[in-house]
Amino acid sequence: MSCSPFDLRDYLFGELGEAERRQVDQHVRSCGGCHEEMERLRVTQSVLLALPEEEVPQRIGFVSDPVFEPSVARRLWRAFWGSAPRLGFASAAMLSAALVIFAFFRPAVTAPMTASAPDTAKIEQQVSERVAAVQKAVAESEARQEKKTGALLAAAEERFQKQRASDIKSFGAAFSYLEKKYSVLEHASYETAGPQ
Amino acid sequence: MILRAVEDTDLIRKARRGDVEAFNLLISRWEKRVYNYLLRIVGDREGALDLSQDVFLKAYQNLRKLDDPARFAPWLFRIAHNEAFSSFRKRRPEREAPGQPEYTGDERAAIGPAFPIELSIAVTTALAKLPEEQREAVILKIYQGFKFEEMAEVLGCPVSTVKSRLYTALDVLKSQLAPLKTRGVT
Repeated sequence: MSCSPFDLRDYLFGELGEAERRQVDQHVRSCGGCHEEMERLRVTQSVLLALPEEEVPQRIGFVSDPVFEPSVARRLWRAFWGSAPRLGFASAAMLSAALVIFAFFRPAVTAPMTASAPDTAKIEQQVSERVAAVQKAVAESEARQEKKTGALLAAAEERFQKQRASDIKSFGAAFSYLEKKYSVLEHASYETAGPQ
Repeated sequence: MILRAVEDTDLIRKARRGDVEAFNLLISRWEKRVYNYLLRIVGDREGALDLSQDVFLKAYQNLRKLDDPARFAPWLFRIAHNEAFSSFRKRRPEREAPGQPEYTGDERAAIGPAFPIELSIAVTTALAKLPEEQREAVILKIYQGFKFEEMAEVLGCPVSTVKSRLYTALDVLKSQLAPLKTRGVT
């Protein structure tokens, strides 16, 4: 076991700070056991590092095939939607533009009032036209009703006059009959009683 | 005119916009590291190459999900780690010794042909004997130079777990490899 203030393996692998390295250096110079252990570690590391790296037997690489590559527009589209800050900025810009356009092209406050005047007149005109039409229709209906009533009254009057004339005629005939019958009866009674 | 080196972050930005050539340049910068990482995990050149291609394809498909382009390296190795262990899970029923790469004698000799063969075999064999998780921790630290926090990101576990795996493996490797040097194998 090492009696070094810090792990000799951390020292070997360069994981210690400068101050810690200095302490280990001083300790190793004065401690035989730690000096020997450090040597063994260094030898082990150098033996391991002596194993050379091999070259890659075949180069690795990708071929850019335009057939499988996305179009420029598609890449831009992806890049745009793939960037949250850019998307946020664009949204804010669009909102600002919409506010500016609305502020410039918004109709004046008095405009709706002046615009509503023709509408009222039109409505009034339409209402008066419809009222006139209704009045005309009512008048025509009343005239038709009056004419019909007049005709009915005239027919009734005519029927009444005919009935009256017929009654007078039959009454006259009946009176004439009774008068004749009375004369016959009076003559008969006179003849029966003789002259007084 | 100001000249400056093209950073990985520049290439990532271009690749995200659909620039395949920028991504190919990014691949050329990282393919060797990714390939060797996978080779040391799976122990099979063909498999490592196939997995490397899968890793870069997945990286291209998911590049938009990379939150911080400065963290490209751990993110890429996280994909590589997932691909490697997914491959292990698929192959596991067929494997004789689960969790260890199947290095044949020829492969042992082939890895590191420019290096003294005995030491090369010793290192490869010592790494192969480690459990998968410990071997991967050694590869990420010793060969890829990741910091503990980056390793935790790649492996998806706490830093304490990363350190535990690495230091356990280091103790084993030290006992096996340090004597070789003292015996003067090199």
